[in-house]
Amino acid sequence: MRHSKVKQTIDSGVIKNRKSSSVLSYRLKCAKTANGLSHFVMYGDVPKEKTVL
Amino acid sequence: MPEGLHFWKNHDAASVMLDPDNLFWGINARQNHPDVLIPPAILALYEKVKNQLKREIKEFRFGQELTAIYIDPTDRCNASCSYCYISPKTRKNGRSMTQEELDRVLEKIAAHFKGQKRKQVIIFHASEPLLVKEILFNAIRRYKHVFKFGIQTNALLMEKKDVVFLKKHRVGVGISLDSFSPAVNNRQRFSREEKGNFAKAVKAIEWFKGYAGLNVITTITKFNVRDLPGLVKFLHGKKVPCVLMNPVRFTRAPIAALKPDDAVLTRCFIKAVNTAVRLSKTSSHKIIVGNFTNTLLAIIAPVARRLMCDISPCGGGRCFFTITARGDMIPCGEFTGLKQFCGGNIFTHSIPEAMQSRAFRKVRERMVEKISECKTCAFRNICGAPCPAELHSLGDMYQKAVFCEFYKNIIKFAFQVIAQDKVRYLVRSDSWSSLTYKYCLN
Repeated sequence: MRHSKVKQTIDSGVIKNRKSSSVLSYRLKCAKTANGLSHFVMYGDVPKEKTVL
Repeated sequence: MPEGLHFWKNHDAASVMLDPDNLFWGINARQNHPDVLIPPAILALYEKVKNQLKREIKEFRFGQELTAIYIDPTDRCNASCSYCYISPKTRKNGRSMTQEELDRVLEKIAAHFKGQKRKQVIIFHASEPLLVKEILFNAIRRYKHVFKFGIQTNALLMEKKDVVFLKKHRVGVGISLDSFSPAVNNRQRFSREEKGNFAKAVKAIEWFKGYAGLNVITTITKFNVRDLPGLVKFLHGKKVPCVLMNPVRFTRAPIAALKPDDAVLTRCFIKAVNTAVRLSKTSSHKIIVGNFTNTLLAIIAPVARRLMCDISPCGGGRCFFTITARGDMIPCGEFTGLKQFCGGNIFTHSIPEAMQSRAFRKVRERMVEKISECKTCAFRNICGAPCPAELHSLGDMYQKAVFCEFYKNIIKFAFQVIAQDKVRYLVRSDSWSSLTYKYCLN
């Protein structure tokens, strides 16, 4: 499996570490509020400037 | 065995456990054993967090407040898509709101939300909102400091100056396109003048040039189902950040003839998601399949979900509702034309009256615990058994969802994606950066 080493993801200053293994269980939560977002992925959350995706 | 837990061997032979009521899950990716094997550490974690998760899910399902309102400013449409949920008669002869009426509607909504910190979302939707472009753009200019705006369009009337305007005001834009093939697309999304919206939709997508607020919506039928992977590749080449691929809804009788085969749909949808992952991994541009992303979020971050169609009760009449061109307030656009689902008229009734109406309550009261197919299903709070309007049109809101088997297979695939650690390629970068671990075992 791919979960064989410590993974580090840096996204907009948030550092995410996860030690990898074949056993997984996790839950993520919003660090920022999701308020103002509609039920569609695309409406209501257009960033101020173009985000490089 | 702890009460409420479901166990199974997934497609990739991983052992999976899931509590459908609080959405706690665990995966053991060891593949060399025929039995389901769940390590004690996962069960210990489950015991520790299960009650808190259950409270969180309950609040999410029943405590979410109104955050978005759809406005259909006109009944009319310049296309005649084969699967439209609005009748051909209404699309041809329906009415349009005047500028004064739209202003009254927006003022009433603004007054309802007065004092709230966040901006509510207003989405101009079906039939074709750009037929009344002037009044919409005036409204956006006037209320841009009060609301966030979105618009869903077939792009037949989109001009380059409109694109500049919509980008300037950070309007979320959904463009309808069903295939990379002009012939396949135009067969489904026919228009008398243009013979279909392909050329105009693609031109508009090019004008938007990677705009972060752009998405493409695809309705899947038996005619375009095999084009899904190619469409992802096509849209990735046009710098589109998000595509929603929704199976056709049976809200009108003739639509049933368009149903794609379940097995073909599952295979092509998975291939489309895998294409998106491959392209996002190997290029500087990321494209997500938005409804699959929502399925993933339902598992790894349930309360971060943004599509409300796969939550039970669904978001209709709860987190959002629709105002028709006549001012009728209905739980969702899918209920257009179903009189018993009108919760009042915005010109004569208040928003709280609509929210408390029998029509809206009827939709909010429909939940998976009351659907016999879902009662014993582990995935009931991941798929939500959509859609109540569609199933009501087919005779019973509480019957098995039309695409139940498809959803089950897609959810199993989502667990496979999680086990393979591909999630970050399937979530928008800005959304991914706003997520942190609540807990993590490994």
